[in-house]
Amino acid sequence: MESDAEEETSATPAAAPAAGRLKGSPELTVDADMREMAKTAAWSVSSCKAGNGVAALRDDNLDTYWQSDGAQPHLVNIQFQKKVQLQLVVLYVDFKLDESYTPSKISIRAGDGFHNLKEIKTVELAKPVGWVHISLSGADPRETFIHTFMLQIAVLSNHLNGRDTHVRQIKIFGPRPNPVPRQPFHFISREFITYSTIR
Amino acid sequence: METLMVDRIHSSLRLFMHRNAIFLCERLCAQFPSETNLQLLATCYLHNNQPYAAYHILKGKKLPESRYLFAMSCFRMNLLREAEDTLCPVNEPNIESSIQVPSGATGNYLLGVIYRCTGRMSAAAEQFTQALTVDPLLWAAYEELCILGVAEDADECFSEATALRLQQEHASTSALEKSNFANENRILSSSLPSSLGDIIPKQMKQLHANITAEVPGYHHVRGTALHVQNSTTSNIVQFDTPSPATAQTSSIVPPPLFRNVHAYQNTISVDAPAKQKANGANQPLRRKYLDEARLKKVSGRLFNQSSESLPRRSARLSRDTTINSNSNISQFGGNGTDHSSGKLRVNSSTPSKLCSTAIRSVQVRKGKPRATENFDEGSRNEVIDEMWTDNEPATSSSVTTDGRFFEQDKAERIMSQDSKLAVGIRELLGLLRLLGEGFRLSCLFKCQEALEVFRKLPEPQFNTGWVLCQVGKAYFELVDYLEADHYFELAHRLSPCTLDGMDIYSTVLYHLNAEMRLSYLAQELISIDRLSPQAWCAVGNCFALRKDHETALKNFQRAVQLDSRFAYAHTLCGHEYSALEDYENSLKFYQCALQVDERHYNAWYGLGVVYLRQEKFEFAEHHFRRAFQINPRSSVLMCYLGMALHSLKRNEEALEMMEKAIAADKKNPLPKYQKALILLGLQKYTEALEELERLKEIAPHESSMYALMGKIYKQLNILDKAVFCFGIALDLKPPAADLAIIKAAMEKVHLPDELMDDDL
Repeated sequence: MESDAEEETSATPAAAPAAGRLKGSPELTVDADMREMAKTAAWSVSSCKAGNGVAALRDDNLDTYWQSDGAQPHLVNIQFQKKVQLQLVVLYVDFKLDESYTPSKISIRAGDGFHNLKEIKTVELAKPVGWVHISLSGADPRETFIHTFMLQIAVLSNHLNGRDTHVRQIKIFGPRPNPVPRQPFHFISREFITYSTIR
Repeated sequence: METLMVDRIHSSLRLFMHRNAIFLCERLCAQFPSETNLQLLATCYLHNNQPYAAYHILKGKKLPESRYLFAMSCFRMNLLREAEDTLCPVNEPNIESSIQVPSGATGNYLLGVIYRCTGRMSAAAEQFTQALTVDPLLWAAYEELCILGVAEDADECFSEATALRLQQEHASTSALEKSNFANENRILSSSLPSSLGDIIPKQMKQLHANITAEVPGYHHVRGTALHVQNSTTSNIVQFDTPSPATAQTSSIVPPPLFRNVHAYQNTISVDAPAKQKANGANQPLRRKYLDEARLKKVSGRLFNQSSESLPRRSARLSRDTTINSNSNISQFGGNGTDHSSGKLRVNSSTPSKLCSTAIRSVQVRKGKPRATENFDEGSRNEVIDEMWTDNEPATSSSVTTDGRFFEQDKAERIMSQDSKLAVGIRELLGLLRLLGEGFRLSCLFKCQEALEVFRKLPEPQFNTGWVLCQVGKAYFELVDYLEADHYFELAHRLSPCTLDGMDIYSTVLYHLNAEMRLSYLAQELISIDRLSPQAWCAVGNCFALRKDHETALKNFQRAVQLDSRFAYAHTLCGHEYSALEDYENSLKFYQCALQVDERHYNAWYGLGVVYLRQEKFEFAEHHFRRAFQINPRSSVLMCYLGMALHSLKRNEEALEMMEKAIAADKKNPLPKYQKALILLGLQKYTEALEELERLKEIAPHESSMYALMGKIYKQLNILDKAVFCFGIALDLKPPAADLAIIKAAMEKVHLPDELMDDDL
């Protein structure tokens, strides 16, 4: 499923930097029971160069990229219309093309708004090429998801000490809603699923 | 030149040479400008898919046929208002009854379709019913009535009464002729000299022989009474025309013949099809006359008393025999129904004509070839008049006895033709009755009965694409997807180009989770017809199965674009928007679907689900109830209605509904599960547990069931069982969301239950 996620160890409850470094994989591999959550969210960035704005992060085109244009940390803010359950953040970065623009240290913060964001995850990347999967789950199965109104992805530093950063695509994943409304649990067996909806 | 051109244009149209037809027709209209020719040109344009051209040339024309063609071109160009105005002008509300193209029924049908497209369902139903009364064989009108849900029993629409009416319609056109001849006969009989008795039979024999000479020929060709009909038809048609001519033969017709004629007239008007017997009786008679036919030429010469008539007679006879075969062949090639109706007309009036047969028959045959091109009575009149004068002296008393045979044979032939038509009508009506009843029942979602009716069909009819698709659809509504799959697959194999039911087939495969087969079906359908909405629905279902809702949505939108009157495409778009949680758009699309077809219960259901998600429970209940009213047999609908009631806290009604759903379909696990949920909400823990135990037998691998059981045990404080159930639930690999909840629940089992957070 997620590549290199096992490299991380989040032993301490405090937001400690991850021990392993992510390499990125050429394929975007996501569980079938997850779906992209941020289509109706409001995306904004701390700064950008003309022609390489925030839209490049969501255009499903790996050739276009967002280029920041200011002081570090560079921030990508994602605000949802209601509290959502999130499980996975995936970024596409390419060291071979972007070199010193490639982010090396990323921090993910969550909260209700700009005023109470709290860091929930930090990862370090090592010359990544491809999709970098960052899981937001804790070790406890009860902590599979984070429930939040807002997510902030902060690029703290780049490779080769570059000032600005290039990110080509960002996707946010969460669980699928139950196709049958108002149910406590999902149905998984064929017998139930066949009879559960009218199409 | 005009008739020649018209003929060529018609044959070009028949052979699909549209450009040729258009060119010739334009030349025709330039040279002979008349409204009929303009109509022909419009027909050519419509055949060539250029409704705008037809619109342009027919604008403002007043003849009924022109108005119908104009309305058809408006309809094709989607100018519904204009089409409606043409068919039914505002200031002449009864005009549609006068639309005679063809026979008024299709005018009513077109008007009905327009009303349906513009949302006036009751007016549409009226029009379709009217169309059916005018033409009971207009299946499309009955189909529309079924779809509107207001069709009456097929037994009534395609009944004995209808059969009689159809026959009478055919008969009535010749009734005039019949009455004409009756009058003539009366005149003739009154003036009959008895001395003719001897001469006439012989002559009749000759003439009869002549006529029957054709009959064997017919028999060789097809051996059915139809051929006899052909000859007699034309004979009789010929007989019809010369009323002044018959007066001339007053000396010829003997009273006995007339009496016989009356007798035969009576038997035929009773519409008793003794066709088989008649046929049987005909055979020996005809064989008898066969020999006579060979003598005809000789006897004709012997027989002819007037020198002038002799050469003409023999010439006529020889001409007749050759021409007859030709004319017969040309008649065979024509349109079956026209001929049969023509024959009927002839049949019923044959007996009356038989009395004045002898000479007329010869005349008829002579006239028949000329009339082959078109039954132009005027030309026949000329021929017959001419022949009459020749034959006058030749009439003899031999007519009497032979005439009786002749007449009898003819009458029998007519009867057999008549009864053949009657049997034909009844067979067709019987078939339509079965199909109509089956279709009506399946539109009312009485699927079991519909299936029974369809099974009564004869095997060749059953094994056709349409019927098999209907059977598949019935199983689909019964939520028996395996059977539906089987029948749809058979239908697709037997007629791969029937696209009508394939959207439902793709939904069946979607429900069965058959990804490979669904994608194969979608590929096939696209390759058959890229412009059919059903193919794109299948492709969309493919993507929806893989949970790629955006691509699925794109495909469904393409289907909508291709045919905005295809309700299911709208509904599927609505489903996809709902899955993408874009409720505004999904509501819009469901309502579009309902505008097209108010009885599309899937759209009502979809609306109910959206409102349920949005927690607008009253709305949800209302919409589920509407869906339930349309399809009262669906256990899934009942279940959802119960869920809406439960959300409204009307728990008794909810439980009732669940009981109904359980009773309606034993295999459906969902109502049982929902019942358990409701009972849990009512804190009737033991009953809920019982229900879930029963459920275990049907669906043993459902983690949600065990999770619920675990919850109930926790409430009952039977903690070890609770943990056990949660464990099983976890083993069955629920999705991540459930995993989290169940694990949390498991850990909290030993804690007091304030933190159970997954109540409804």
